[in-house]
Amino acid sequence: MSEMKDMILDVVERMLKENVDKDLVDIIEQGKWASNLWGLLEENGMTMVATSEANGGAGGDLEDLLNIVRLTGKYAAPIPFSETTFANYLLEQTNLHVANGLATYMLSNTQAFVLEDGKLSGEAIHVPWARHTKHFVTLANSVDGIHLVEIDLGQAEITHYANLAGEPRDTVKFQNAIVSQVSATLSFDEIGTMTTLETAFQLASMTGAIDKINDLTVQYTKEREQFGRPIHRFQLVQQHIVNLAGETAIALAAFNNITDALLNNHQNNEVAYARIRFEEAIQAVATISHQVHAAIGTTHEHALNQYTRRLWAWRDEGANTSYWTDVVATQLLENSGDRLWDYLTDTKNTVIKL
Amino acid sequence: MFQLPTVQFTKEQEQFRLEVRAFLQEEIAKGTFIPKCDSWLSGDDPSFSRLIGQKGWIGITWPKKYGGQERSTIDRYILTEEFLASGAPVAAHWFADRQTGPLLLRYGTEEQRELFLPQIIKGDCYFGIGLSEPNSGSDLASVSTRAEKVEGGWLVNGQKIWTSNAHICNYMVTLVRTSPFDGKSKHAGLSQLIVDLHADGITIVPIKFLTGESHYNEVFFDNVFVPDNMVVGEIGNGWTQGLAELAYERSGPERILSTFPLIDELIQELKRQNNSEGLKQASKVVSRLWALRNLSIGVAQLLESGDSENVAIPAALVKALGTKFEQSIPEITRLLVQTYPTLDATRKIDRFMAESILHAPGFTIRGGTSEVLYGVVAKGVVTQ
Ligand SMILES: Cc1cc2nc3c(=O)[nH]c(=O)nc-3n(C[C@H](O)[C@H](O)[C@H](O)COP(=O)(O)OP(=O)(O)OC[C@H]3O[C@@H](n4cnc5c(N)ncnc54)[C@H](O)[C@@H]3O)c2cc1C
Repeated sequence: MSEMKDMILDVVERMLKENVDKDLVDIIEQGKWASNLWGLLEENGMTMVATSEANGGAGGDLEDLLNIVRLTGKYAAPIPFSETTFANYLLEQTNLHVANGLATYMLSNTQAFVLEDGKLSGEAIHVPWARHTKHFVTLANSVDGIHLVEIDLGQAEITHYANLAGEPRDTVKFQNAIVSQVSATLSFDEIGTMTTLETAFQLASMTGAIDKINDLTVQYTKEREQFGRPIHRFQLVQQHIVNLAGETAIALAAFNNITDALLNNHQNNEVAYARIRFEEAIQAVATISHQVHAAIGTTHEHALNQYTRRLWAWRDEGANTSYWTDVVATQLLENSGDRLWDYLTDTKNTVIKL
Repeated sequence: MFQLPTVQFTKEQEQFRLEVRAFLQEEIAKGTFIPKCDSWLSGDDPSFSRLIGQKGWIGITWPKKYGGQERSTIDRYILTEEFLASGAPVAAHWFADRQTGPLLLRYGTEEQRELFLPQIIKGDCYFGIGLSEPNSGSDLASVSTRAEKVEGGWLVNGQKIWTSNAHICNYMVTLVRTSPFDGKSKHAGLSQLIVDLHADGITIVPIKFLTGESHYNEVFFDNVFVPDNMVVGEIGNGWTQGLAELAYERSGPERILSTFPLIDELIQELKRQNNSEGLKQASKVVSRLWALRNLSIGVAQLLESGDSENVAIPAALVKALGTKFEQSIPEITRLLVQTYPTLDATRKIDRFMAESILHAPGFTIRGGTSEVLYGVVAKGVVTQ
């Protein structure tokens, strides 16, 4: 754990709290984004946390970075923070230079891109933020195998689409476009590691959103009165509050264990289990929070939907529940000799090599 | 209490179902409407309302002298099921057909019936439901919109909120306080007025739903004059009159079928994939649907036979269980089929998913929250 952690997180949370309000989050649905906020985080070195010094990094480790991502999720910050930092993280992991400026990535659909003589062709859908970013990091197939490549999005044909929360999820098409950097060929293990990390970044954002939804909901039960009393006095509402608290605690504990495991390299399926469990958490948290807010929570005007719609969108992006249940099922089959308990508690049982 | 009648459809009724179905399929093919989830609240299309008005399919149970068909509640049930199963845009006339007509037939004056029912039946006249206020949701009896007696009528001041489709409605049946709270019963002193939404002093402000669309509104009253002949039933009897319609409102197929187009598409998709494991899972959904349908149609039959004594609890149960079921459909679907929900998706299942996910929170809120219904059921079961 980095000693800077508390300080960094304090600074970031303050910046987000002061600069991100409901209206700012809404601009994303008008096709805009919060470039000022990005500038602020960049100035303060937050976009380079966990990047090595050789690459111009500002210190901090992966745990710090994931916690910043959690905070951007907690404030629904309309900036490609996790996309850029994760793209850079991928580049570093494969011994490439980090990108200078806004970046995005796509790891799914590895069949999509073909690399030939340093030129990329192919198409990817649901690419986050493509229209607003400069660098694209993705996997591409060449005759030798699979590589990580970085390419300038200026060469792409970009069609605008959005996810359920109005965040840009564009179609990106390249035709014989020149790549800026190419990694050595990657093993399936290395690609598996990348996917694990991608999911860890997504879980960080989701954790932030869940945390915020819990805050909003508890607060609302204290403010809203019916039948002459605040609604938290009704036992059925109390039951909602308890279930919501449980899901929030589960999410935060899972997230902290992920960062810890990644940092100490004893990643024992924490990411897989967490991603599968978040499926339930998201469903419960969204349902409960809307039920407690009742009509006001179904309005565009209220902030709640900025978080619930994000969770509903994010759960179908990247390596989803079905990917991770496959991974766990395969492992269980391969470990058929072990008792479940032996398998669960085996800390060497790691998908990830950092 | 849980003994509900069963329903066997007559040959004519089976025939009627097929007739409605064929009509809707034809209109879909012609491009008259695009099937949607939750079409009964969010699919407002006056031209479609007029089209089915011409078929005689609005106010189908009402007396012939107003233009109705005097058909049975079960016929209406069949008709409604077919609309919902096809995702037809029936929202514009929905409340007038479901609530206002029956209210006027029970409590309205002859003048009111003659004025409104024929227009409703034609699909030309839409009614909103003016109950909720900013500070009165579940605690409906605490409404503070008030009407003061003046020469020849009532002067209304206050505000309603969440009024579905008020922006396209002609009138709103509005629950108002006509005498101040007497310190004893909150239910006394409430009355129902028919308010012309184009009258002077009315301001309608749309509220954006979380999808960005506008289905519901705020309605403001600034010295709005409502003539005496627009009072429904008796002054001071508004609460009792409103309660009388609750069983209809809570037990209909719209409490089960709001996401039916998605269920249908899920099954189609699994069939296309030849996914028998997925279909096994989906068969549980189908069974849940059918169990709820048995419950709901049993209540309809009870209402048809005029037994309003025993209907409150099963009707509340239909809404509590049915809306939970409708709400669960996108959550179940996404575990059986890979989807990427967006409202403008070209793949049907992705669009139905987006509509269902975004509208689902409202299912267990509108028309009385589940928590309030649990209270009704628990109290009712214990008292009986
Ligand atoms: C899509 C949609 C359409 C609507 N259309 C209309 C319309 O056309 N006309 C109209 O008049 N209204 C309409 N409504 C409003 C609807 O009737 C109210 O939202 C509903 O009655 C709940 O009121 P509320 O939203 O103020 O929630 P509140 O009453 O403030 O409730 C907040 C939370 O507290 C809980 N709660 C409150 N009291 C209790 C209690 N005693 N015990 C346990 N829990 C309790 C509720 O269940 C809920 O979870 C619509 C609502 C929606 C979402």
